[in-house]
Amino acid sequence: MSIERFIDRFAYAIEVEPETLSADTEYKELDIWDSLNTLSVIAMADADFGVAIGGQDVESTRTIGELWQRVEAKLGKS
Amino acid sequence: MSRLSGIAIRAVAAAVPHEVARTQDYDYLTPEDRQRFQKATGISQRRISPQNQYASDLCAAAAERVINHLGWDRASIGALILITQTSDQPIPATSIVLQDKLGLPQTCATFDLNLGCSAYPYGLAVIGSFMQSLGISRGLLLMGDVSSRVCAKHDKSAWPLFGDAGSATALELDESANPIYLDLMSDGSGRDAIIVPSGGLASRVPPPNEGPVSSEVGSDGISRRPDNLILRGADIFSFAISKVPPSIKRVIESGARAVDDFDFLVLHQANKMINDTIAKKTGFSQDKSLSTLADYGNTSSASIPLTMCANTDCFQVDRLVMTCGFGVGLSWASASLTIAANTVLPIVETDNVY
Repeated sequence: MSIERFIDRFAYAIEVEPETLSADTEYKELDIWDSLNTLSVIAMADADFGVAIGGQDVESTRTIGELWQRVEAKLGKS
Repeated sequence: MSRLSGIAIRAVAAAVPHEVARTQDYDYLTPEDRQRFQKATGISQRRISPQNQYASDLCAAAAERVINHLGWDRASIGALILITQTSDQPIPATSIVLQDKLGLPQTCATFDLNLGCSAYPYGLAVIGSFMQSLGISRGLLLMGDVSSRVCAKHDKSAWPLFGDAGSATALELDESANPIYLDLMSDGSGRDAIIVPSGGLASRVPPPNEGPVSSEVGSDGISRRPDNLILRGADIFSFAISKVPPSIKRVIESGARAVDDFDFLVLHQANKMINDTIAKKTGFSQDKSLSTLADYGNTSSASIPLTMCANTDCFQVDRLVMTCGFGVGLSWASASLTIAANTVLPIVETDNVY
């Protein structure tokens, strides 16, 4: 599991092109970001990585890289 | 894991008010966001009760429907349990008021339970084991909520999700009934995921009679009164897709069944993304997962019986059904049920007040 794959799946979940995102993207600042995107990202983490992230994980992270760290930490535990 | 024997479901009815609230008419979202909301949640419209109609009225209408359908002598009904989170008043319990309004005998044992989305499997477990252990031959399980009364209309994270509805399930002791398999779960550490913070004695804010009720702006930028419902959708979503599928799988295993043995999956109607994910993770095909999200939204405690009643054509022969409720609490539960042919009655539309 790599951050490249996470960014790719993240882009697919929020329906943007993967090239427009990077680990440093402040995802909640994206023009298209709204609460439904939060649900899409949670669904993606569950379906593609088998990890349950919560509202708190989204609230307390800024960049896609930071969110990936949360997912990676949970991957380690499972 | 639990197994409940000797309890048969004789009739299931549901009641909704006439007024329709459409997502496309919801002024607090832009037209584009209304489209997006509808696509993600699956909710196009819901029913909203008139100001003088309460959960007890909707449940009473559904109860009248099952009693009349079965031709039951009211004197033969020995138990009535109401599950609601929008009771008519704090005390007394609304179920006791319903005993009088429905003309049930004083020998009828009644009490309320405070559960929401997980009400159906829990309710069947409680009334079934109550009837079994005390030898009560006939009972009514009523479930309903007028969630529209506790959500702020401008709260776009809650208001456009919820619809009002009531339901009634008539049960009877029957040694030949197929067993009901149950899985009942709780996690109070998630209590803030769906909460009405004020109104109880441990409220984090003073009750209204100790000062004016004032709105506060939450971290999501939405202003709410302390007696309004707060719904943290992301937390519910995460909980539902991770905790609910294992519960359904435990019930399938305890009944020594396979997914394909079940005719239908009837989930609490939360939203389309949640319900589709749960169906997929448990191996139920989309056409087996019944839904009323489009027309009735999230109807809280009434959602499972309402969804059966909206699909009466699916219940013209005996059916094996997996039901699962999940949400506020956090509380979640699953039950596998045998629904005999023509037990499920069409939805009643009523603005009646009892």
